[in-house]
Amino acid sequence: MSKEETFTRIIRDNEGIIYKITRIYAGNREDQNDLYQEIVFQLWKSFDSFRGDAKISTWMYRISLNTALFHSKRAKKRGFNVSLEKVVLQHENYDPVLEERLQMLYDQIRILNDIDKGIILLFLEGKKHDEIASITGFSKSNIGTRIGRIKEKIRKQILK
Amino acid sequence: MQTLWTQLSSQLESQKKLTNKLIMEMTQQKFRNRFYKLSLYETSGAVICFVFAFIILLNLDKMNAWYLMLCSIVTLLFLVVLPILSLGAIKGMRSLNLAKHSYKETLLRFNKKRKNMLLIQKVAVMLGVVMMWVSIPVFSMIMNNKDFFTIKHDPWLWVFTGAVTIGVILFSRYGYRGYKKVTASAENVLKDLEDHSDY
Repeated sequence: MSKEETFTRIIRDNEGIIYKITRIYAGNREDQNDLYQEIVFQLWKSFDSFRGDAKISTWMYRISLNTALFHSKRAKKRGFNVSLEKVVLQHENYDPVLEERLQMLYDQIRILNDIDKGIILLFLEGKKHDEIASITGFSKSNIGTRIGRIKEKIRKQILK
Repeated sequence: MQTLWTQLSSQLESQKKLTNKLIMEMTQQKFRNRFYKLSLYETSGAVICFVFAFIILLNLDKMNAWYLMLCSIVTLLFLVVLPILSLGAIKGMRSLNLAKHSYKETLLRFNKKRKNMLLIQKVAVMLGVVMMWVSIPVFSMIMNNKDFFTIKHDPWLWVFTGAVTIGVILFSRYGYRGYKKVTASAENVLKDLEDHSDY
């Protein structure tokens, strides 16, 4: 299998990860599209250095989160973009109730600081503390403490 | 929260939309990230500053008074040093290797570099008003061969200059507040990382 075929297969198998990260780190559709492309670009750029000594998802999370951190922005920017509007981000086919609940959850996560955003995303993805620690570089005990605080913070935000 | 997220994940699984063609198109995209655009603006600004600095250098012999020479040197320093520092800071940001470091390490490096870049921007904003006044005598000599400090001025010149100064101060305050906010955000992250680094 060629490098391109392997890469596209990996991206297609894991496109949900990238999508969820863009929803958390970018506030509107346009920025989400831009961030999505930037993440794919960064993954491609570092694909040669991925030696398979870590899980693919671990590698993807690390680069995607770093890219989101680095490139997420408050102001708008322009530039030539591949149009994703009709492909990934608009046609979710969620039911309205689910969509509303998801939107509330995204909103709550989005207002967390950059550290907490990354950790809670990985926690929600079902990652164990030691895997979160491995991806983020924080210690396992630090992760446990932070997750507890984040859950409490979100709970208080929702109750407000 | 977990249940909701799991529902989202399974919905996404059933909706895979990307094509190989789209993915490979995305890998070819260049020059679209914000740091590239920031570099472009800063580089353009730097070129303009260097052009003016060059004009001053060419006309240094016209500065026949010590105060004019002093204004020229200060203006030159401002026009040369600040753009170089600014471009260096942006280069530092762009050089971050997103594939090499963990999220925590990226957070640390990114926010330190961001703070550094913001400091330079804040200094530039603060000095902007001062430099506007310092450069007036220099360009008065270069363009009109007149010593700004000794010639008689039309009162309207002071009104106009005063109005421009107020405008520049207001704009600078607005810009400075924006930078201060972003700096505070970077500092909070660094402090958070520092406070919880022991466990």
